Amino acid sequence: MASVAERRRMARLVHRFGFGPRPGEFESLLSKGFEQAAEQYLIAPASDAFADNQGSPVVSDQGRRPAPNSPDVVAYATQKRAQLSSLTFWWLDRMVLSEHSLRERMTWFWHGHWATSYQKVDDALPMYLQNERLRDHALGNFTAMSSQMVIDGALIFWLDGQTNTVKAPNENLSRELMELFTLGVNRYSEEDVKETAKALTGYRVNKTSGAVTYNPRQHFSAAIKVLGTQRSFDANSLSDFLVARDDCALFITERIWYRFVSSMNPLTDTTLISSFASRDIGALVKAIGKHASLDDPNNSMVKSPIDWFVSAARALSITPSKFSNPNSITNYLDQLGQRPFFPPNVGGWPADQAWLSTSSAQYRIQFAERLVREADLSPISTLAANSRLDALANWLAVPEWSNRTKMALNGAINDPARLTILALCSPEYVVSA
Amino acid sequence: MDTITRRQFLKATGAGALGAAAMSLSIEEIANAAISRPLPPGTPILVVVTLYGGNDGLNTVVPASDPLYQSLRPGIAYKPEDVLPLGENLSLNGSMTGMHSLWNRNQVAIVRGVGYPNPDRSHFSSMAIWQSAIMGAAKTGWLGRWVESQPEDPMLAISLGSVLPPLLAGNRRSGSVLPLGGLKVPRGSLASDCIKLAIESQGDNLLQSMAARTMRNLFTVSSDITPILQSPAPAAPDLPTALGGNAGGETNLSQQLDIVAKLVAAGAPTRIWSVSLGGFDTHANERGAQAILLGVVSQGISKFMSQMRASNRSKDVVVLVYSEFGRRVRANASDGTDHGTSGPVFLLGERVKGGFYGEQPSLSNLKSDDLAVTTDFRDIYASVLEKILSTPAEKILGNWKGRTPLFI
Repeated sequence: MASVAERRRMARLVHRFGFGPRPGEFESLLSKGFEQAAEQYLIAPASDAFADNQGSPVVSDQGRRPAPNSPDVVAYATQKRAQLSSLTFWWLDRMVLSEHSLRERMTWFWHGHWATSYQKVDDALPMYLQNERLRDHALGNFTAMSSQMVIDGALIFWLDGQTNTVKAPNENLSRELMELFTLGVNRYSEEDVKETAKALTGYRVNKTSGAVTYNPRQHFSAAIKVLGTQRSFDANSLSDFLVARDDCALFITERIWYRFVSSMNPLTDTTLISSFASRDIGALVKAIGKHASLDDPNNSMVKSPIDWFVSAARALSITPSKFSNPNSITNYLDQLGQRPFFPPNVGGWPADQAWLSTSSAQYRIQFAERLVREADLSPISTLAANSRLDALANWLAVPEWSNRTKMALNGAINDPARLTILALCSPEYVVSA
Repeated sequence: MDTITRRQFLKATGAGALGAAAMSLSIEEIANAAISRPLPPGTPILVVVTLYGGNDGLNTVVPASDPLYQSLRPGIAYKPEDVLPLGENLSLNGSMTGMHSLWNRNQVAIVRGVGYPNPDRSHFSSMAIWQSAIMGAAKTGWLGRWVESQPEDPMLAISLGSVLPPLLAGNRRSGSVLPLGGLKVPRGSLASDCIKLAIESQGDNLLQSMAARTMRNLFTVSSDITPILQSPAPAAPDLPTALGGNAGGETNLSQQLDIVAKLVAAGAPTRIWSVSLGGFDTHANERGAQAILLGVVSQGISKFMSQMRASNRSKDVVVLVYSEFGRRVRANASDGTDHGTSGPVFLLGERVKGGFYGEQPSLSNLKSDDLAVTTDFRDIYASVLEKILSTPAEKILGNWKGRTPLFI
């Protein structure tokens, strides 16, 4: 029998570096022991039985919106909604159904890092192209990722890069590139913000296709002074320059620590930074996944609404796109404050306490009720009542139930549906202990 | 806070310290307690309106007749005939007619040039400073600390929308949040089971005990206000997708204020309400987008004030409007402005002494192209704490000496 500490370590592995276990998976990992489980969990294989065969979402360049009263506008708007829905459920399915979760988990992390919202981009194709770009580099090399992202159409449009000209630079993209994407706040000066904006001039976005073109004549090609270095830059060489700085290694390590270990306790072991020396994201994630800080009971985290929903759907064998009313899923995610492709701002989603509100408690209960109606409850319904609590803990990868929750669950022990709703809403499931 | 003290802190505030209060609650007890103690008339109420994205102060309180204003921002400057005169060579943005008529009734205080030393131009750092009133890393909001200084009551401070703003975050207790679509509280056996889950347990870590407590608050808050919110508010935001929308905030300010108005009028025992509007990060095509947003702010607040006049609470309510920074004086080539420094703060209500406070930052004396800071925002907070929340400012803001004499 695994100890509570061993169960907690394994639960953190599957909930934070994946999206929670499928039925039977947690028991099987526990029987392997942490070392072997971590080796299997923290390295994404080249192929994935689900993801390789999933196909693409139905998104295409819709061109410009027809005039308000033209006969085409209704068809245009209908198709627009269908494209966003196709893209959203394509990704939710991929999160829930991928054989190996790490790549989607990291794609999700990077979506919150290079946080770009459909709210302003307003076309599905550029959002999809960005999403694939994040996935391609999710566990690859950060230098390559950043170099691709600074010329990503959706990101440039989101941060007004297309209006950044030599005559009067727009600083939105240059500031966030340093503050939120590569270095971290206050690791540059205001003068650096003004100067790097010049290096990012000359890039034009086709808003509906997401295609980016570079016009050297509109680019500020003279030397600029950035962080003490005087030379000429374009977007790619600027990105390489920033990513090569020590502050970038520190910052990305801090960000992964924040989302995977603790948002409340700061990075304590700076030796972790050295695993990012060559900017290998996969190596850093593996080092953090195996790090002793994840044995520390203080490093608990609240599951964000996506963490909570996707892990519930995996346990309950629910395919998001096959749900009887898929829109109810996105509506609940909206209510809970976290819908893919709609980060609240360029800083991404909040963490921990922000997800613990009266309102989220309410919507979590309703959402759980709705999910359980279409769930496969056989992992507990086929068992005798007296073995259900332990089975429930393994099914959902909960380290242990408190006396409080045992009391609540025991009151519903003969009703598998109600039992599952309560378990999904319990503090032990809502928080990755 | 370093790691060791942080860990000690987590231990010290673990389940043992929190569990005792929660043992024998039922819906009936909570509902009865809530209904039996409406806020006594005459108790001041604070409504905080946060404008996310960095509102351009120079195009809000406009020095339209200043030739420097016209020459520094061609393309986005307003002509004197397009704005609403306030006196002292300043005018209100032309879309803010509602607030202008409140100004004429002497119910609006405008504090000019508000900020803090060494302005931070990051949305997130600067908003953290404004919401925490702490320079540097902060875990709590200034009003969250106020909540913690009061006896525990989930209805004391409520934010509209589903995510708690840092403003109301405390170490051990925070304000509550209220969703915009009305509440659907579980009923029957699911409800009684959920109440069991809402009891804090010995083994809970800090976050788990918070999770339990928010579940408990669901029953407390909702049983009191559900009847008031019988018709679900409309979901449609009142704004088109405006440019400048990548720095946070809600979209439906008037809907939020409408709910607050109903709840205040009904006597909810709430001292602080928090609402917000996003979209002020106007790096491009600023004029049209900002005018729409300011129109929403002005119309929402003046309608709210007229709803208050119809209740017996109009003498109690004070509205505070702020943003994380102003914007650069010069326009960029996209007819927008980049992140700047100081901006105006508005206070409204019958308790407010209307008029200008603080010095208007001079356009002929810019600090590396930016407006000077002439009033520290903590002066305003200190006066709000003392006069509206009846709490010594030292308790919340440490040894902060400045005050702005805003209130009657």
